[in-house]
Amino acid sequence: MQAQPLLAVRGLHSFYGESHVLHGVDLTIQPGQALSLMGRNGMGKTTTLKSLLGLLQPRSGSVEFLGRDVGKLPTWKRMREGIAYVPEGRGMFHNLTVKEHLQMAARPGIGGKLEWDYDRVLATFPRLAERLTNLGTQLSGGEQQMLAIGRALLTNPELLILDEATEGLAPLIRKEIWEVIAHVRASGISTLIVDKNIEVLKNLCDRHVVLVKGQVVFDGDTQDLQDNLSQIECWLSV
Amino acid sequence: MDFAIFLVQLLNGLQYGLLLFLIASGLTLVFGVMGILNLAHGSMYMIGAYLMWYFVQLTDSFVLAALLSAVIALLLGVVIEKTLINRLYRRNHLDQVLLTIGMIFVFNAMQSLLWGDDPLGVAVPGWLSGSISLTELVEYPVYRIFVALLCLLLAAGLYLVINRTRLGMLVRAGESNREMVECLGIDINRLYTIVFGAGVMLAALAGVVSAPMASIVPGMGEHVLISCFVVVVIGGMGSIKGAFVAALMVGIVDTFAAVLLPQLSSMIVYILMAVILIIKPQGLFSS
Repeated sequence: MQAQPLLAVRGLHSFYGESHVLHGVDLTIQPGQALSLMGRNGMGKTTTLKSLLGLLQPRSGSVEFLGRDVGKLPTWKRMREGIAYVPEGRGMFHNLTVKEHLQMAARPGIGGKLEWDYDRVLATFPRLAERLTNLGTQLSGGEQQMLAIGRALLTNPELLILDEATEGLAPLIRKEIWEVIAHVRASGISTLIVDKNIEVLKNLCDRHVVLVKGQVVFDGDTQDLQDNLSQIECWLSV
Repeated sequence: MDFAIFLVQLLNGLQYGLLLFLIASGLTLVFGVMGILNLAHGSMYMIGAYLMWYFVQLTDSFVLAALLSAVIALLLGVVIEKTLINRLYRRNHLDQVLLTIGMIFVFNAMQSLLWGDDPLGVAVPGWLSGSISLTELVEYPVYRIFVALLCLLLAAGLYLVINRTRLGMLVRAGESNREMVECLGIDINRLYTIVFGAGVMLAALAGVVSAPMASIVPGMGEHVLISCFVVVVIGGMGSIKGAFVAALMVGIVDTFAAVLLPQLSSMIVYILMAVILIIKPQGLFSS
């Protein structure tokens, strides 16, 4: 018997005005699992994330987190249930220093969980420790990504959602970010990763979902992904 | 102008500037953090003064009346935010202007209904009356020094809250990226209520401490609102530091102009604003 899913998204239909963007998207993440969400630009990946976080209200569909219907909750309450989000663009605050970014976000997770604290984040991202008094927007792209991930971890989440975690970063920095995400994964936090790097994702994640025009066209484990690699690469290529 | 008169005018200018800051800080915070253009902000100054008059009559105590006025203003701010302002967050500035102008009419009508249209006054409390000698011939009222020091204390408190506390970090973060604040599990609406309530309370406190210095008259809020907008625009919309510097500039320039250039005094702060906007179109400390 399968355990209760951490996140269960069913039949999401989302619109931007009259434009129908998501056509019944389903996603399930089990506790401890890492799921990759792939697709070309404009296929609905970010819209899926925004819909499940409540940043965009879907017209139909349900979102359950740890068995609880969170679909009607405002965004901040959903996050309090144990979700952390690293958005595309990193969501830096232009008027807060690195230290303040971390301090303002820090809180215990559900049940008072306090696995990640300020010191652990700085130990994981030593480069941030050197830039504590800099404004978040003064950091390089890679450092900003580290700060965004560190800030998200300080909310002690059950599920970490990363949207385009390595977009626009230099290959070396990208490698560093993937190592950090692997470290986070190993710590037991479930992850939902939106990215286009299939080579990394197939090793990092347990399950993989591919979106094409707002519909799930593939949902399987890494073996399934390997078996259908050419078709999936076709869906992902421009 | 001899030194003694210069000193008096400088103190008057500083004290007026600090009072303006107290009102303008709420206006600029509400705009910077919540994106709300609150034209009814001056009414809160007026309400503070009228509440002060009312509670002084009721309690015969300056301190108690001031505290009661501040608490009621805070509650009023919370109620206004929860019932009216929170309907404006997803609306444009025109809607905000229409609603908050409407609020001015409502507050003025309520003031007329509750307290009448005759000018009212509050006496300076005994322990703050009297003057101190600046020179052999020139004295300065203790109450005005008290007001300046109180405003400075409140400005320092506001600075500490904004720059040294988690609440201040959240306020600044909300100013920068409100969606991201929500994504960190923070109730942005609660934050807005706190900011709006605090802004109303600061404006009302300015009215409270002004009550013994000037007549309490209908429409006193509109006049001060215009000066506050000048302060906010010069300082940079949303900037507390800018509001502080601009308020002192406006206070000093306005006070000295009244003495040195009385023909130009009604327009001098607007000339100052125009010059600053030509040099720095976003204001002195705009983010």
